[in-house]
Amino acid sequence: MRAGLVLTLLVGVLATSAEAQRPHRAGLWIETGGGFGYVRIASSGSTTLTSAPGSTSYLTVGVLLSDKVLLGIENAGFVDEMLGFFRGDTSSVAQTWNLSVVVLWYPWRSGFFAKGGVGVAQGTFTVSPTGGGAPIIARGTGVGLNFGAGYDLKISRKIALTACVCADVAGIGDVVLPSTRVDDMIASIYHITIGITIR
Amino acid sequence: MRHILALIAALQSDSTPVPVPSIPRRPLMAVTQSVILNVTVNRLDAWAFSQGWANSGTRTWGRNLRVGWEWDEDQFGTNLLMHPYHGGLYFNAARANGLSFWEAVPVAFLGSWTWEYFGETDRPSLNDFFMTSFGGIALGEVFHRLGATIRDNGSRHRVLREIAAFPLDPMGWLNRRLRHERTSEVPNAPEHAPGALSLRLHAGARFVVNSHLRKSNGTPTVIVDFGYGDPFLQPYRAPFDAFRLRAILGDRGLNALRATGRLYGPRTHHDHLFLVNQRFDYINNSAYRLGGQSIEVGLESHWRLPTEWQIRTEAYLDAILLGGIDAPTAGFGKRNYDFGPGGGVRFRLAFGRHGRSYFAFAAQSEYIHAVSGASADHFLGFGAFEITLPLGPSVGLGVHHTTFLRRTVNSDRPDDIRRFPELRILLTWTDVTWPASGVPQPTTRAP
Repeated sequence: MRAGLVLTLLVGVLATSAEAQRPHRAGLWIETGGGFGYVRIASSGSTTLTSAPGSTSYLTVGVLLSDKVLLGIENAGFVDEMLGFFRGDTSSVAQTWNLSVVVLWYPWRSGFFAKGGVGVAQGTFTVSPTGGGAPIIARGTGVGLNFGAGYDLKISRKIALTACVCADVAGIGDVVLPSTRVDDMIASIYHITIGITIR
Repeated sequence: MRHILALIAALQSDSTPVPVPSIPRRPLMAVTQSVILNVTVNRLDAWAFSQGWANSGTRTWGRNLRVGWEWDEDQFGTNLLMHPYHGGLYFNAARANGLSFWEAVPVAFLGSWTWEYFGETDRPSLNDFFMTSFGGIALGEVFHRLGATIRDNGSRHRVLREIAAFPLDPMGWLNRRLRHERTSEVPNAPEHAPGALSLRLHAGARFVVNSHLRKSNGTPTVIVDFGYGDPFLQPYRAPFDAFRLRAILGDRGLNALRATGRLYGPRTHHDHLFLVNQRFDYINNSAYRLGGQSIEVGLESHWRLPTEWQIRTEAYLDAILLGGIDAPTAGFGKRNYDFGPGGGVRFRLAFGRHGRSYFAFAAQSEYIHAVSGASADHFLGFGAFEITLPLGPSVGLGVHHTTFLRRTVNSDRPDDIRRFPELRILLTWTDVTWPASGVPQPTTRAP
């Protein structure tokens, strides 16, 4: 009798604990956050890379498709104010953003998720001439991909802290700057972010 | 002749004897098969065909991981058709191992990503990743269902059907063999009999004019229109439970392959349906080349008329995830076509009776912004009508007229404007398998 009671209590506690660990997923959802990013810029026909660290931020809104799948629209941005396309050059401000339809897939009952999306991307490079004068802006718009994985850590019934290791790929075409020309530019932005999710 | 056509089309009555048990889900086997597929293709190319690009190893893997994506210079047919077919093999490795459409999607992406980074000495190609993954999903699901329709364990032509389905779905064939399912004692797959099936075969001559080269030519052509399921008859249950496929054979072998499948739709019967489709386009003829992967959102309606005639309309907005279009005066390296995303609209009206279309009109406008190749924006327009004059119960005379217009706005050279009128005169054979009456009649779809 007592063993049965203990077993019942144990099962109840474990069930409550498992339920508590499982983030709430229903209806609409919104997520925003930011973190550390790293951009790697490559062009076709050349193995020369331009890379730099920067900061990244994002906003995602979406709906629940099923218990395991969320669909959303994500706007992610990256900025680095000291980008250079050759050694010693820090004259460019690089900004990229992706607007994508994303799918988040929770394969298990935990908060782990995998993420993928496709959409449009834009890269903007602003160069201030050394002798003064109006800044020169070069911009490319094209196709964007993103993918990654993360974890929702539930802090209340509807709120979770979300950590993500993700990558955005932006194929933005030719970008012509005063110092150089990059043909068929592809910028890959890797970021580690912390965000807050409300569902 | 009729037997052969029936075999190809698989417009058979459902011979499924008992309710079909679902295949056990084996995701690990699906991933393993996609890895084995990559290794097999790589080693075949390296050892049997002595292809230098297949001699990849740790050095190129490290370089690829460090440097990352580029746009490649492969031929149009390789990038826009063969890569999607390859992607379909990954996808169908998953479908043949019991995974659903959505569960098979990551397998297609995984197979494509691993091939791009580890299967070639070249850097991973972003256009290949798009075409192999998204194109593989579309073609893979179409071929998975088409293969299941052609195969029939209850048929006395079972072996011939297996042979006919093999090129479309070799991974399905392999897994059926591994599971010993190629026998009359095993029921057919659930995709074998979707309810509504339509096939229209056209054979005749095609005349096309290239306004830029000021020349025209006439060539023989064969067109295959295949319809699987019907969105008005069957409420949405799964992606691609209703799709249309058009293949055009001509002077370049496969001149066109276009497929549109329902990704999402209402789960109840309506006269006006809001649908989300995935579209695969590949056109490679002597006049122009165009292809890509698209998602479209729109409304399909059927309008009942007195007697048994009906009109169907379709109006869609589309997003081209990545398209390819020839750029005769520009291009990139050895490649003379551009890649880019875009979008557009399309409209179609069809007038028919008893499941047969007698008149169809279609118009489409698209925009592609090149991100690899020329610094250009491409504006495209299609207009087409197709008339079929009945000569008998299944036979007719078809007259198709299509005009393709393109205007390329270059940032560093004059604009390029071209026009390609095309006329086709065809003998047409149509067969339709349709469930019980009281439901809307299908119409064979135009371009």
